Amino acid sequence: MNGNEEVQTLHLDWETLYSKPAFVQRVLVSGLKRTKDDIITKNVKPLLQAENFGDIVKKAEAVSDRLQQLGIFSRIKIEIDTCKGANANDNGYDVRYVVQESGRLKMGYYTMVGQNDGSLEFNFRSPNVLGRAEEVKLDYIYGTKHTRGFGLSLKKPLNGNPDTWFGARAYREQGDYPWSGYKETDHGAGLDLSFLSLLGNHNLRWEGVWRDLRCLSNLSSFRVREQAGHSLKSSLIHTYVRDTRDDMVLPTRGTLLKMTQEYAGIGGNANFFKHGVEFQANQALPLSSVVQVCLAGGIVRPLRDTTVNITDRYFLGGPLTLRGFNKNGIGPHSDGNALGGDVYCMGGLHLYTPLPFRPGSGGFGELFRSHFFVNAGNCGNVENFSLDQVNKENWKAFQNSLRLSYGLGVVLRLGSLARLELNYVLPVWKQAGDSASPGVQLGVGISFL
Amino acid sequence: MLMEAVKIEMGATERWPDNVKLYQQYQAEQITFPDYAASLSVKTFLYMCGLEFSTVPKINAEEMSPSGRVPFIHIGPFLVSEFEPIVAYVQTRGFGLNDDLTDVQKSELKAYIKLIGSTLVNAELYLSWLVPEVYEKVTKARYGAMYAWPLNCILPYQKFLSVQKQLAASEWKNKTFAEVCEEVETCCQALNDRLGTQNFFFGKKPTELDALVFGHISTLLTTDLPRNEFADIIRRYDNLLVFLKRIDAEYFDALRNSY
Repeated sequence: MNGNEEVQTLHLDWETLYSKPAFVQRVLVSGLKRTKDDIITKNVKPLLQAENFGDIVKKAEAVSDRLQQLGIFSRIKIEIDTCKGANANDNGYDVRYVVQESGRLKMGYYTMVGQNDGSLEFNFRSPNVLGRAEEVKLDYIYGTKHTRGFGLSLKKPLNGNPDTWFGARAYREQGDYPWSGYKETDHGAGLDLSFLSLLGNHNLRWEGVWRDLRCLSNLSSFRVREQAGHSLKSSLIHTYVRDTRDDMVLPTRGTLLKMTQEYAGIGGNANFFKHGVEFQANQALPLSSVVQVCLAGGIVRPLRDTTVNITDRYFLGGPLTLRGFNKNGIGPHSDGNALGGDVYCMGGLHLYTPLPFRPGSGGFGELFRSHFFVNAGNCGNVENFSLDQVNKENWKAFQNSLRLSYGLGVVLRLGSLARLELNYVLPVWKQAGDSASPGVQLGVGISFL
Repeated sequence: MLMEAVKIEMGATERWPDNVKLYQQYQAEQITFPDYAASLSVKTFLYMCGLEFSTVPKINAEEMSPSGRVPFIHIGPFLVSEFEPIVAYVQTRGFGLNDDLTDVQKSELKAYIKLIGSTLVNAELYLSWLVPEVYEKVTKARYGAMYAWPLNCILPYQKFLSVQKQLAASEWKNKTFAEVCEEVETCCQALNDRLGTQNFFFGKKPTELDALVFGHISTLLTTDLPRNEFADIIRRYDNLLVFLKRIDAEYFDALRNSY
């Protein structure tokens, strides 16, 4: 009984302490060497608005998060103490941040997995070059399918705000696209602005790219060969992402909405407008199961009297998208080369459950999920697409050319971004020219639907 | 190698389909004169064989070509680029211009074709890419004509580097312009002497050599350039001039009238 009372008192103490009128009298940041004062001042300002102790603690943590987001500190420690000294107020507090600045030059490497291909990126980063969180990065990519690339990028928060970044990048990249029988070398430069709105994260980018396409061999389709050569794309791209999922690989709840608009028509000879949407919703069910719905689609239309180059078209199919088909195996093909479509859509219904009998439950077993799914989609060309064409007949033609597959398998989580899937798939609706892959299919990658 | 052999074998079944196409760059605005000469040689050869084809102008003809050079022909499922491979391929289809020649004449024909490849072709490349006046005023503008900035500067420069490399490999890069003119003169002299007053290089019937010489010499003679040294040299050889006129009248007049 006695003990209980004590707990009660303590509890009351916390309550009173947290709601005790208090304000931040001084903010001290120690450990700053080359970081300029003004960028820190801007970010600690919210602290001065705290009205009670609980508020101070909350705001101090929020400020610490923002400082962390600037990417210039390797360590941040918060100390809160009553203010001492001659001018000290009874309710005044000191908030002290002990920080350690990141080194001038950081070296890193990491592996990246695209859809069934891997690459290794080496980079040199110099954070905080001029003292206001400016970052210079030099990277080199080496991967399968002759992927090579290097780039130089700069980024800097605008007005010291870690929610708003300005970036610039120049790069050279090359890679093979064996499913379409061509290789591509790109030289590009871009400027971008990332910012937050009430709706989510936005990125607005201008990109100018010189693309050089060549056939991989004499076996490439003539339809691909006709598109070989140089093209210049100058485009404005807007990407919007709203992600409320609790996990990127095996989420149990939340939704993801991603929209991309690209307007390529400001100079250059690649003129098109492209709009893509991806949506995913997850709902936890009893017995640690999760049901997931995915929808994705996109359309690209040429501007003026041009055609859309193969490199700007949509492709569909693969072990992590529309399962049961080879990579980009859906849609128009010529001599075994995927030509891509100017419109695509796909949907998926997935059920994730723990492995049968739950081996390694709570530990190793949590990396695995059994996976049951139905995927459907379509990829093709819409000649002279217009809204008044959306009628019964066209809808029927669309339905008749739908692809559908279903199957089951195992998903393995690889880190916090990638997954490996081993599935047994049956592609049941196919079209002539599709490259299907019934049976066991293995997929590794960071993008999946 | 085996694939090639099988392809040629398969292709030989149909003698000459209707829709044979010859790809090159746009003639009026884009093509540079060494490429034009190569293209004209192939066209003349096909006309001489009496084979039907249509010319398809493409901005990206060079990048489409399997060998990276123009012209190339698209015949059924096959692509063949450049003069000599095209001549060889057309022969596998059962058309040729040198069937009546003796073995000695055939090897002589080969030697003259080599001569043109190692002198006239290099001289054309030298004149268009390494003579600053011609490069700056004509070649650069034409080669980049179909592209927007900055590609209209980058692509000619890239090509300039690759031509420079090519000429360095055949030891033409460090020649002076006077030396190049000398080479052209020697070549024209040799052709003029071989031709004599005959209708064609090997008598009364044309061969691929006639097509090749016509393509290159007439291009050099008729292309308007800031430097006309090559044209001046050619004008000194009467036999060649008569020869050009004869071929032009025989194979191109009819075409002009048909428009």
